[in-house]
Amino acid sequence: MTLNLVLVQIVNGLVLGMIYVLLAMGLSIVWGMMNIINFSHGLFFALGAYLAYTLFSVTGNFFMGMIFVPLGTAVIGMFLELTLLKRLYRLNILYQILMTFGLALIGRELIIILYGPVGKSFVPPDILSGTITLGTFFFPTYRIFLLFVSICITLGMWLFIEKTKYGSVIRAGTEDSEMVSALGINISRVFTLIFGLSMAIAGLSGVLAAPIRGVEPMMGEAILGICFAVVIIGGMGSFMGAIIGGVIVGLSQSLVTLIMPSASIIVIFLVMALILLLKPRGLLGIRD
Amino acid sequence: MSWGGLKVKFQKNASLVIMVGIFLVLPFILPYRALATEVLIFALATIAFDLLLGYTGIMMFCQASFFGSGAYITGLLIHHFQPNIFLCMGTAVAGVALLALVFGYMGTLRIGSYCVLLTLAFNELIFFIAYQWKTLTGGSDGLRNIPRPSLEIPGLFKVSLLSETRFYFFALFFFILSFVLIRKITESPFGRILQGIRENETRAQAIGYNTQLFKIAAFVIGGSFMGLAGSLYAMFMNFVDINLVAFDTSGKIVMMELIGGMGTLFGPILGAAVVALASDIANAYWDRWLLILGVVFVAFVLFARGGVWGIIENLRDWVRVPRLKDK
Repeated sequence: MTLNLVLVQIVNGLVLGMIYVLLAMGLSIVWGMMNIINFSHGLFFALGAYLAYTLFSVTGNFFMGMIFVPLGTAVIGMFLELTLLKRLYRLNILYQILMTFGLALIGRELIIILYGPVGKSFVPPDILSGTITLGTFFFPTYRIFLLFVSICITLGMWLFIEKTKYGSVIRAGTEDSEMVSALGINISRVFTLIFGLSMAIAGLSGVLAAPIRGVEPMMGEAILGICFAVVIIGGMGSFMGAIIGGVIVGLSQSLVTLIMPSASIIVIFLVMALILLLKPRGLLGIRD
Repeated sequence: MSWGGLKVKFQKNASLVIMVGIFLVLPFILPYRALATEVLIFALATIAFDLLLGYTGIMMFCQASFFGSGAYITGLLIHHFQPNIFLCMGTAVAGVALLALVFGYMGTLRIGSYCVLLTLAFNELIFFIAYQWKTLTGGSDGLRNIPRPSLEIPGLFKVSLLSETRFYFFALFFFILSFVLIRKITESPFGRILQGIRENETRAQAIGYNTQLFKIAAFVIGGSFMGLAGSLYAMFMNFVDINLVAFDTSGKIVMMELIGGMGTLFGPILGAAVVALASDIANAYWDRWLLILGVVFVAFVLFARGGVWGIIENLRDWVRVPRLKDK
């Protein structure tokens, strides 16, 4: 095992990790604010990838997908929130979880009906194919591009949450959404927008991941469990936790691949169990 | 005993007698015997889950880990050692109970929806272990060649279970035993505490109960019965499908529970029957019938959270002439 290989795997791990970060951020914000464990989060990741696939094969323009697909998944997400989830807010949160589980099942079946059960490969656009040479190292251009975009989005989200007025409503809502509502803020509209935002990022991460892993109907479910592990590792409801958790999981997955490829997914859950035993709240968990 | 008490006792056992009666004729009215066994085994797994969700209020998502591990342990034992059938089932149940103890402990470290996240992650862990450890589990091909053991007590008797009808009644025996046990548990002081935790965990803590301990106990008991169901399923199919430990199996049991009516024990049995029968029929016509099941499930979440059993109870109350005393 050369140093070169390890370095390449570290970059791959960061790429993978940033996809997890994007997904876990949305999952964590929705949980923190609305107290919903969103089982359809993985579905929106798959939906994003499939919409990008369609848009790319029709128009041939990948960057259009990066703009329009998140808008599309946000609209679908907000529509579902307004029509279905909203009806369940006054009940036990169990029913909201079950609703998102049902939606995930319906969505997966619809994808199979529309696109068939077999996965499809997705080649990155010409401008982003090829490799970048750094000294003696070669990195695929697309992965570096993905890293750059996802870091920008994460930074943007951080600025949005920490520095804007809207962000302070979100932070306050994560602490106590009833109190925020009592202060005269239309919490119901905030919920809809948060859900839409979370689904937009999930869709975008699907777009970004598609050229690396292709598209297949089960991709949403496969990644959902990993994202749950990321959120548990980082600490539920914590923004920084989602970032740290995602990077840890991505790196451990890609580095273990070097030693023992068959254990690369299993190690994620073992890391999770270990951290849980040491710190039951996760690394940066904020509340029970 | 008072007249009213006697009447309640009669009504309670009447529903049990009716259920047993239905299960006795079920294999003879369905298109084929094996379908009745399928209903029975999933009904067992679902009432075990009902103890967790319906009675203790624990939403979890690793039903497949318990059910599937029971199946894998049984399959592996039979495949390699061909032990006595009771030893085999006992080992499977004990193994799953241990697994449930670990998952239950970690899942109940903190209260709230956290348990859902964690148990789903564990579900994936078990799935990937089964998927990757090909030499032991057969990977995605599943575990094949599991001959069905005979019902045998050494020195006493030996009966072959190869006939589907005989195996059905063998499974029915365990189902009824489990049902009676689980119902006894829900009616015991222990079961009342579980229901107290469901209603208000903080208050149960304030009274002085160590709620985590009770929740772990619910995990172990429910998990063991799911393991028993899985063990029966492996012997029934003569094969362990990797899907038994996958997300979909957990989802299936959750759907059976909600569509049947949680917290009622009879409801989940009905739910298991409805889902298993509907899927058998619909599967013949359309591969993607799960779409319809998903829509039905969402409709139940929106409009009929009491499940089919709740609908039946509402109908009964509606038909029954309202009396002043009831009002």
